[in-house]
Amino acid sequence: MRRRTLLTAAASALTAATGALATGCDSGASARASGRGGRLTYGVWDVYQLPAMRKAAREFERTHPGVTVEVQLTPNGTYWTKLRTACTSGTAPDVFWMNGPNFGLYADSGQLLPLATDGPDAVVEPSAYPPDLFSLYHWKGRQYGAPKDFDTVALWFNKKLFERAGVDPPDGTWSWEELIENARRLTDRRRGIHGIAAPVWAQENYYDSIAQAGGWVISKDRKRSGYSDPRTIEGLRLWVDLIHRHRASPTLQQLTDTDPRQLFQSGRVAMMQACSYDAATFWEDRGIRDQVDVAPLAHGRHRASIIHGLANVVYARTPHPELAREFVRFLSGRKASLIQGRYGSAIPARNGTQEPWTQAKPSFNLQVYLDAVKDAQAYPISANTAAWSHKEQQWLARAWSGHEDLTDAAHSLTRAMDQLLAQEGKSGS
Amino acid sequence: MSSDVTADAAPGTGAPAPGRPSGTGVPAGAAAAATAPGGLDPAALRRRERRFRYRDKWWGYALIAPAGLGLAVFYLWPVVQTLYYSFTEWGAFGGTEWIGLTNYRTLVGDPEFWQALGNTVVYTALVLLGIPLAMVLAVLLNVKGMRGTGIYRTLYFLPVVTMPAAVAVVWRWLYNGDVGILNQALSAIGIDGTFWVSDPTTVRFAIAAIGVWMTVGYNMILLLAGLQGIPQDYYEAASLDGAGRVRQFFSLTLPLLSPTLFFTTVLSVIQSLQVFDLVYLILGANTQAGLTNPAYAEGQTVVMLFFQKSFFDNQRGYGAAIVCVLFVLIMALTAIQFRLQKRWVHYG
Amino acid sequence: MAETAGAARTARRPRREGRLWPAHLVLSLGAVVTVFPLLWELLTSFKTFGESTRVPPTIWPEQWEWSNYAKVFSAVPFDQQFLNTLLMTVARTGAQLVLCSMAAYAFARIRFPGRGPLFLAFLAVLMVPGELFLLPQYQIMQNLGWLDSLQALVVPGMFSAFGTFLLRQFFLGLPEELEEAARLDGANPFTVYWRIALPLARPGLLALGILTFLWSWNDLMWPLVVNTDPEKVPLSVGLASLQGAHLTEYPVLMAGALLATLPVIVVFMLMQRHFIQGIAFSGMKG
Repeated sequence: MRRRTLLTAAASALTAATGALATGCDSGASARASGRGGRLTYGVWDVYQLPAMRKAAREFERTHPGVTVEVQLTPNGTYWTKLRTACTSGTAPDVFWMNGPNFGLYADSGQLLPLATDGPDAVVEPSAYPPDLFSLYHWKGRQYGAPKDFDTVALWFNKKLFERAGVDPPDGTWSWEELIENARRLTDRRRGIHGIAAPVWAQENYYDSIAQAGGWVISKDRKRSGYSDPRTIEGLRLWVDLIHRHRASPTLQQLTDTDPRQLFQSGRVAMMQACSYDAATFWEDRGIRDQVDVAPLAHGRHRASIIHGLANVVYARTPHPELAREFVRFLSGRKASLIQGRYGSAIPARNGTQEPWTQAKPSFNLQVYLDAVKDAQAYPISANTAAWSHKEQQWLARAWSGHEDLTDAAHSLTRAMDQLLAQEGKSGS
Repeated sequence: MSSDVTADAAPGTGAPAPGRPSGTGVPAGAAAAATAPGGLDPAALRRRERRFRYRDKWWGYALIAPAGLGLAVFYLWPVVQTLYYSFTEWGAFGGTEWIGLTNYRTLVGDPEFWQALGNTVVYTALVLLGIPLAMVLAVLLNVKGMRGTGIYRTLYFLPVVTMPAAVAVVWRWLYNGDVGILNQALSAIGIDGTFWVSDPTTVRFAIAAIGVWMTVGYNMILLLAGLQGIPQDYYEAASLDGAGRVRQFFSLTLPLLSPTLFFTTVLSVIQSLQVFDLVYLILGANTQAGLTNPAYAEGQTVVMLFFQKSFFDNQRGYGAAIVCVLFVLIMALTAIQFRLQKRWVHYG
Repeated sequence: MAETAGAARTARRPRREGRLWPAHLVLSLGAVVTVFPLLWELLTSFKTFGESTRVPPTIWPEQWEWSNYAKVFSAVPFDQQFLNTLLMTVARTGAQLVLCSMAAYAFARIRFPGRGPLFLAFLAVLMVPGELFLLPQYQIMQNLGWLDSLQALVVPGMFSAFGTFLLRQFFLGLPEELEEAARLDGANPFTVYWRIALPLARPGLLALGILTFLWSWNDLMWPLVVNTDPEKVPLSVGLASLQGAHLTEYPVLMAGALLATLPVIVVFMLMQRHFIQGIAFSGMKG
């Protein structure tokens, strides 16, 4: 009787051990220690970055024998819907891409594993990344994301249109006044050419100008909207005035019917502000590659460029937490960052690995995107960013189109946003 | 002609294409009654049924089971569930909580919902204007000695078979404010066109015009079939009585065609109230520019709002409440039409 | 039948022909307005972006720009999506024809306890707008682990209350003598349904088949909800994501729109008489 029990126990222990072996490993720590394998899934959404991500995954597999990494692509439009469903049913990828607007929701509801920032188990070192990027993925005292890449904003311009209008190209010294003045001079209504494009874009346009004016979008404690602050409104007014007062930009209706990038690429708009990842779009269009270049943003009261970037995060219910953290450490490390930069689609987040990215497109002055980091301001987020950014776009679009006075729209937006932030406070805690 | 439906079956969208059995709200009893098998009197029916043998009943269940189980699982039970969902709130990552009437209360105070409802009603009303248009075309096609009717029917029917998603993409291009062909044509005759689908004042009309374009061929075919069902003798008798063409149309054609007209109207209302894919894509709701389209609020329909709330904002309970209200609205409007039909529909 | 009726009338009153030109004028004007958007779609799909946005516009493309079509395929896996649409359409249509006709035959010809309430249940489904099913259907797919799969596209669309109702009406209108003869010979109800009633119901089946074909091919909302993988979505969703990716690069969008609709237009052209009769039929009988 007794012997049998012992035997059974031994047998079940053995089964458990082989089971763990067969399925890979139940704990990544043991995997790292003993070199046993495992299978990780890695969720990404950008098809242009897929080759770089695959290359990094192969590199990780090479240095971690027995480990396989499957890179799963879901296009941007459906990535978040699918990810949320997968998190609900516990089937999300072990490691996946995260962005600022969605981060709060996932961090706040415990979908992510915290990452150690110091000590022997450190996954990310704070000093290796731009501080505003690193803090973007900080939530209630813990770090959840390891910065993967970043994008800043700069001013693109069409050299040919500048020459024709006799305007000196932007050199980084422009103030808002000069920006407006030159946009007006570049505008040639008979030819259908506008000086600048002023779409209702957050990161590219109004978040930057709000920071340049000294305004704010959301309070530090993420409880109040800053849209009623006169300086914030001043930052918004830059764009509304460019359209309506100076008539130096196509109207919002025009920009809805034809994408600003297309207007820029077809020579009907002389300037536009764009994120670093748009450099690839302009580079690939051989018709304009030699005609366009990029310069730092104009400055208002301050110099400012919004920094945003993606991070790699670990799913809270991953069966391989240690291995997943190990993979994240690798992805945010020097080697994987260099791989990413070499493929040229996104600027690697890690300091000192960005050279290959700027050199990939030699005729563009891409260094301005790196220089922008020193004036960078963090991207505004809260626990449910999507809810209020939806309102933000709705209300600002009404002001941009001229259907609503800017100040009125800003006040309405403040009320709507404050209400949503109050709800967050209630459900969050 | 009976009342009819393109009803459905499946998770249809409500754009007004006929091939699209989307749900509808035709009072089925009326439909069934009106379409009782032609020419069989009740006595004959009873005689026939007596002949069925007892063991046939198992065959009956067996034949109905596959369709019946599918409908029960994927359609009947979901209706109950949706109703239940409308009283709950969903967490971002699962977990539902019973919140009673809160969703409905929020709905009543939600200006976005009322705006969307208003847009949908305006769209529906405008699309109904396509029925007189279809009527004119059907009457012309039915003129004695008309040739080439086959070609006309084919051409008018093309938009009916075209995918609504493609229709939206194409019309977005025609409507482009800067370089769209519509504005170029208008400027040739001295009219300054606008940004049709990004201007809040024009967006509903511009979208409804597409709705008419997509449905006119379908309504025309149904009305033409109705017209061809009117015996020629009636007209001959009328002209012997000295009734002119116009008189004939109003005192003969219209009354005799009223059941068909009634049916196309009911159907048109039901489908227009559920319009989704056309408007969703024409506003560019799936693109970056769509969210800041200044005409988005004035274009958005009820089903779009439901879709947005349920699948993007993750407010499934609220989404469920929206469709429950839409369901009630459709039923009510259909019931009202059936009430009113006594005043103008003549069943010959 | 319209043609023969028209011809008969023409024979009777040949003199009236001369007064038809106003009707032709109105009808052809309307036809031009109806067809023009589709023609413009075709022409634009062969222009460069620069040419397409020129003022004044060119009618014929200066050079035929086939690369727009290539761009469609490089932006979205249109060939795979074509296959998905085809499979989805064929499977839904085939299943509906079989399942609906079986149930319809039972409702029309077999008497059994509970037939009335069961039929009412079918009719109840018929009255509900499609959106009402969407959330629970999505939950079912999620629970089955079927999100992002072909069966998710197909399965709920296999069942139709409308189809059952339509075919029941059709069976009720058929004479029973042939069926009775077979039954007297001892054939079971399924054999009678399959061998005798179904062949007679061909026009009804054709009408339902055409309606289901059109609805399936063009369906957007359900696939948009259940499938996100570009390799698993049908053309309608592919077109929506093409618009999302190429924003306002109209020639490419026109090429995509044309590719997505061309198969239906070709089938329609080949079978136009059946299409129009089928739709008129469903209008009369539904």
